[in-house]
Amino acid sequence: MRIAVTGAASFLGARLLRRLAEERGPDNVVAVDLAAPPANLAVRARTVDLTEPASDQRLLEVFGEEGVETVVHAASFTNPRRDGSYAHELESIGTLSVLAAAEAAAVRHVVMRSSTAVYGARGQHPALLTEDVPLEKSAPLGWLREKREAEAHAALFAKRGALAVTVVRLAPLFGPAVHTFYTRVFDRRVVPVLLGYDPLVQLLHPDDALEGLMAAVRAGKPGAFNVVPRRPITLLAALHLADKLPVAVPHPMAYAAVDLLWSTGVGQAPAGFLDFVRYPLVADGTKAARELGFEPRFSSKESLLAYVAYRYGAGAAA
Amino acid sequence: MTRSAKVVPIRSPDEPEDLAARVRALEAELARARAAAAAGTSEGPLVTLARVLQAGRRGIRWDSVARLWKSLYFAWHSEETDEFGYDPRFAETVRPLLEFLYTVWWRVEPAGMENIPSDGPGLIVANHSGVLPWDGGMIKLAVRHEHPARRECRLLALDMFALLPVLAPALSKLGEVRANPLNAERLLKRGELVGVFPEGVKGVGKPYKRRYKLARFGRGGFVRVALRARAPIIPCAVVGAEEIHPMIAKADWVGKPLGFPYFPITPTFPHLGPLGVIPLPSKWTIDFAEPIPMDHGPEAADDVLLVNRLSEQVRSTIQRMIDSRLARRRSIWTG
Repeated sequence: MRIAVTGAASFLGARLLRRLAEERGPDNVVAVDLAAPPANLAVRARTVDLTEPASDQRLLEVFGEEGVETVVHAASFTNPRRDGSYAHELESIGTLSVLAAAEAAAVRHVVMRSSTAVYGARGQHPALLTEDVPLEKSAPLGWLREKREAEAHAALFAKRGALAVTVVRLAPLFGPAVHTFYTRVFDRRVVPVLLGYDPLVQLLHPDDALEGLMAAVRAGKPGAFNVVPRRPITLLAALHLADKLPVAVPHPMAYAAVDLLWSTGVGQAPAGFLDFVRYPLVADGTKAARELGFEPRFSSKESLLAYVAYRYGAGAAA
Repeated sequence: MTRSAKVVPIRSPDEPEDLAARVRALEAELARARAAAAAGTSEGPLVTLARVLQAGRRGIRWDSVARLWKSLYFAWHSEETDEFGYDPRFAETVRPLLEFLYTVWWRVEPAGMENIPSDGPGLIVANHSGVLPWDGGMIKLAVRHEHPARRECRLLALDMFALLPVLAPALSKLGEVRANPLNAERLLKRGELVGVFPEGVKGVGKPYKRRYKLARFGRGGFVRVALRARAPIIPCAVVGAEEIHPMIAKADWVGKPLGFPYFPITPTFPHLGPLGVIPLPSKWTIDFAEPIPMDHGPEAADDVLLVNRLSEQVRSTIQRMIDSRLARRRSIWTG
């Protein structure tokens, strides 16, 4: 029986594809994406656009023809997009299509990639977020809303019972070859931070993210799992370890300035993301350790230093 | 930083002097490399400052400023914290100030230390007062310094303090966690000693004329947490903290827009400016009462009447301890 990976051309999707092809043989892996998989990987490839109106029909065909037993749904955006409707079509509606097609094609198990950001950064949260913290539907940040909607679809299909749905909530990726809107912050020498705030953040090494997804595929257990690094790190410690110069900005000014930059097309992200550098967001990884047998190899500090070594050459951060 | 030692081929064993000289030279090189590595890692902020000033004559560069900032930051902070954000080096940096306040400024006199368990979980429940949460720090120091087991007590900080800029990261680095039942239960189940102020903002921000009158103890959430974790409750009464910032009035119209829960007006604040945050040197006592066992079983946490009764028992114990201290106290300043 075969395993399909949606978003197979993404950073994590491509790594997962390679890993699955090594473990199960390339003929048992189906890459589902708009772009073709790397030529040196002789996996089966199908082109599906998840944002097309009839994508669920197309996916149903693909899953049926290929005899897919497990689907890893890794098609989601890491960076915020200005065209919110496209993000909605891919993340919320695309996930719905994947789940509906998987259920209709009698797929046994769906592993969905999500993010610990779905909890949102709020001061009122417990210090360590477990998987049963309720996710509010509404969020001022469109990026967050789409991810929560995708999770709500997953919860709905899981409740119907025909499909085992595993949601893997990954902490923000940080490490070699990771390029996101937040790693770009570390490309500057001077980094603005919020005055008087120094929250804890979790930075997940891509190798650990891959291992976490693989553990979820192997275990086949339904439910949500946090895949997080061994220890968190405070934001200022991270910036200093990377030899950055943090400059404190009062938060009312920062929110206004970031929104202005975003709306004028200069900024990388809307102001809603400032909550993530204002309030701590630390997820508890003990459930994944207990039930998936996943133990992270890297701490947040090690992921950060791996990124710095990749970006600036080894020895840049002593 | 570590330099790998060069591999020197040994020519032949029949040249002992030559070999000895080589070994000596190699050892000297190793010592130099070690010294250089040590200098690189433990270079203090002052050395870096001197280096930056020296470099400054050739024009200040971002990276040298960043390096100075970095060495200053890590002189105060550890590189990694625990999952709640406790930073041992930051706590050590701040401790001398707290110790000064404890021994010299407020001359804290703890009593009933034997009531704190030497190991296993325990929930210290105390009255809250003094506008700024100094009482928590003093309870923590009392337990750390006067208890034979030198236990670290982790305090549950009010949400309003845990969200304020500057104060929020400082409290979390000192080992405080946000007052949330899940946080408390997790710490207690790990067998830690936890301190909590159930009065919350009603206690710490009460006007001077209502001093030493305990406010409502929330809705007994602390009792439920203790019942679920089977952790005994140790009532604790702090006397003296009400007088450090006697609040005459509140100006909430200043505080609320800035995100502060209240804006206090005391004899020294705000008209003396920054001097107004210096607390008055009253004499403090901290009393710990006998622990109240909480082994009713976890389902007792849902028994509202029992929770209320236990909560009231704790409250009246603390009020009694406060009243007896106040009756014996002759002066605010000398005790």
